[in-house]
Amino acid sequence: MRLLIIEDYRPLQKSLAKGLREAGFAVDTTGNGDEGLWYAMGNDYDVIILDLMLPGMGGLKILKQLRAKGRQSHVLILTAKDTLEDRITGLDLGADDYLVKPFAFKELLARVRALVRRSYQEKNPLIQIKDLRIDLTTQRVWRAREELHLTQREYTLLEYLAMRAGQTVSRTEIWEHVYEFNSSASSNVVDVYIGYLRRKIERAGKPALIRTVRGRGYILGAQL
Amino acid sequence: MRSLRARLLVGVISGMALLLVVFSIIIYAVIRRALVNQFDASLAATARILAASVEYEDEKIELELDFQKMPEFQRAERPAYYQLWRDDGTVAARSPSLGTDALLGPEGSLGAAVFQALQTRSGHPGRAVALKFRPKIEGRDANQQPANQQLLTLVVARDASGLHSNLQFLGWLLLIASVGTITLSFLVAALVVRQGLSPLNSLAANIAAITEDNLTARISTEPIPTEMVPIEDQLNDLLSRLEASFNRERHFTADVAHELRTPLAGMRSILEVTLARIRDVNEYQASLSDCLAISRNMQRMVDNLLTLARIDAHQITFRREEIQLAELVNSSWRPFSDRALERGIVFDNRVPAETTCQSDPDSLSMVLSNLLDNAVEYTNEGGQIWTTGDQDQDCVEITVANTGCRLTNEEISQALDCFWRRDSSRSDTGAHCGLGLALVQRLIKALGGCTTVEVQNGGVFAVRLVLPRPEKL
Repeated sequence: MRLLIIEDYRPLQKSLAKGLREAGFAVDTTGNGDEGLWYAMGNDYDVIILDLMLPGMGGLKILKQLRAKGRQSHVLILTAKDTLEDRITGLDLGADDYLVKPFAFKELLARVRALVRRSYQEKNPLIQIKDLRIDLTTQRVWRAREELHLTQREYTLLEYLAMRAGQTVSRTEIWEHVYEFNSSASSNVVDVYIGYLRRKIERAGKPALIRTVRGRGYILGAQL
Repeated sequence: MRSLRARLLVGVISGMALLLVVFSIIIYAVIRRALVNQFDASLAATARILAASVEYEDEKIELELDFQKMPEFQRAERPAYYQLWRDDGTVAARSPSLGTDALLGPEGSLGAAVFQALQTRSGHPGRAVALKFRPKIEGRDANQQPANQQLLTLVVARDASGLHSNLQFLGWLLLIASVGTITLSFLVAALVVRQGLSPLNSLAANIAAITEDNLTARISTEPIPTEMVPIEDQLNDLLSRLEASFNRERHFTADVAHELRTPLAGMRSILEVTLARIRDVNEYQASLSDCLAISRNMQRMVDNLLTLARIDAHQITFRREEIQLAELVNSSWRPFSDRALERGIVFDNRVPAETTCQSDPDSLSMVLSNLLDNAVEYTNEGGQIWTTGDQDQDCVEITVANTGCRLTNEEISQALDCFWRRDSSRSDTGAHCGLGLALVQRLIKALGGCTTVEVQNGGVFAVRLVLPRPEKL
């Protein structure tokens, strides 16, 4: 899942990005409002973490513009402004969540996960596709009774496919949601990682979970 | 006298009492005079009738009086008296009512009646009139009288207790009327004063209703007497000033909280993320030094806040020392030189070596540090920072200037507000909470100088400090 952090306080921005990357998210960061809007308009982020007081364009203005242009990314406002009016203004302008600084990192993580689930209409943090089970909270994966050990990148890929289970997901979409803006990866990398993932989750003698749709992409858990 | 009401009441009542006393005395005097005149006129008329009835008959004085027609001289009770003297002081005639007593009356004068108050034989008050006249000579007309004829003095006295009791009655009447009027007017005045002062009470109630959480309220008493309009206006002005100052205080507190929250959030986030898993030593070290940097910045901000508060509370005492300005600028610059080098900023200290001033070195060093810190922060990469100094007889001038300013002239006026930031946001490090310029301004003011901020052509941001020379202090 890909996140954008628009936060101008460098130490906070750095540690948020670090923590969220370690939690399996692809994270883009910027400390400037104008640049933040440019990032948010150009990519399909799952969640945008937005500070309100920014150099350049202010947070609320960014939010207004995003919603006016019809961007559907979930926005979590992360700010030191804690009054009721500030919260109401933020939520009414189209934010999906509001967290006041200072905060517990675990809470932020839980809220970001909840927002990700919401963007894929997935309320249950435990996804089951045939005999494949994914625990979104602990990031553990089982096939039947056997626990599978995936790398961070493999898990992120599987989670994205699982969120969109039954739909054809293009390489570009995968690339956009799993890789960071500054990463050197190209969409070829997607095929490589799909190969790694297949090796770990497919079992001989059982129906394939990931199917290739020629020229369009991949489907997880599609009916034959 | 404390109470306005008591003051008004006492003033009105004593004024009224004084007027009443004066008027009563005048009325009494006028009426008394009229009554006495009337009494005297009738006494004089009686005396003239008596005098007219006195005749010389063969060198003898004869009183041809019909006492039947003038019964008052015969009355048993409170009779009238007369006595007639010759020139030589011998008594020519006297009324029987006098008995053996002599009638002591005034000396008469020729042609005019002379009046006098006296006491009658029975001890009552009476009045007497004295006439000097030449009696008629029997058989001659009045104009044939010889000029050297001897003069007679007639004194007639009459009991005046009727007159006196009338006057006494009048006196009592006036006294009682005055006392009654004063008592009644006291009640009326109390009512009027209370009514008149009622706007004061409603003003007090209005003021009492204003609490420190409710400073937006204004006093409005309707209807308000014109005399109280200025008071109400002044109070409302005071309230406006109070409200503004409370609001500033509130904003300031909110800003402080906000500015402390952000670095706190950064520190907490770094610590929580670092603790989330086992890491190698380098990572721990990096996190700890990040936290240390943040806590240093927070400490600086708290120090600045404390200094501001102390300046406001006049709790700072300044030393007065001869300061070599160029040297002070150099030592203040030292902590920022590394950062300037990183950003390719060139620093030029153009303060002449001979520029000195008498001031507090700690405060001035704090001022310069703040200005240089800001300058390093906001100067464009590869830009310039320079300081200049100048002195004349009256003052010493120091300017700290830097390139790369994107401020507009409107923003300049806000530049000295607490927590003002160039784009209403924090800088990357969080060190610049915008307190710097406010602190500089207040410190310089406390040192007796003034601060001006201006943007010159080509994006040069300059802060000019003017400090008075010691002899001008």
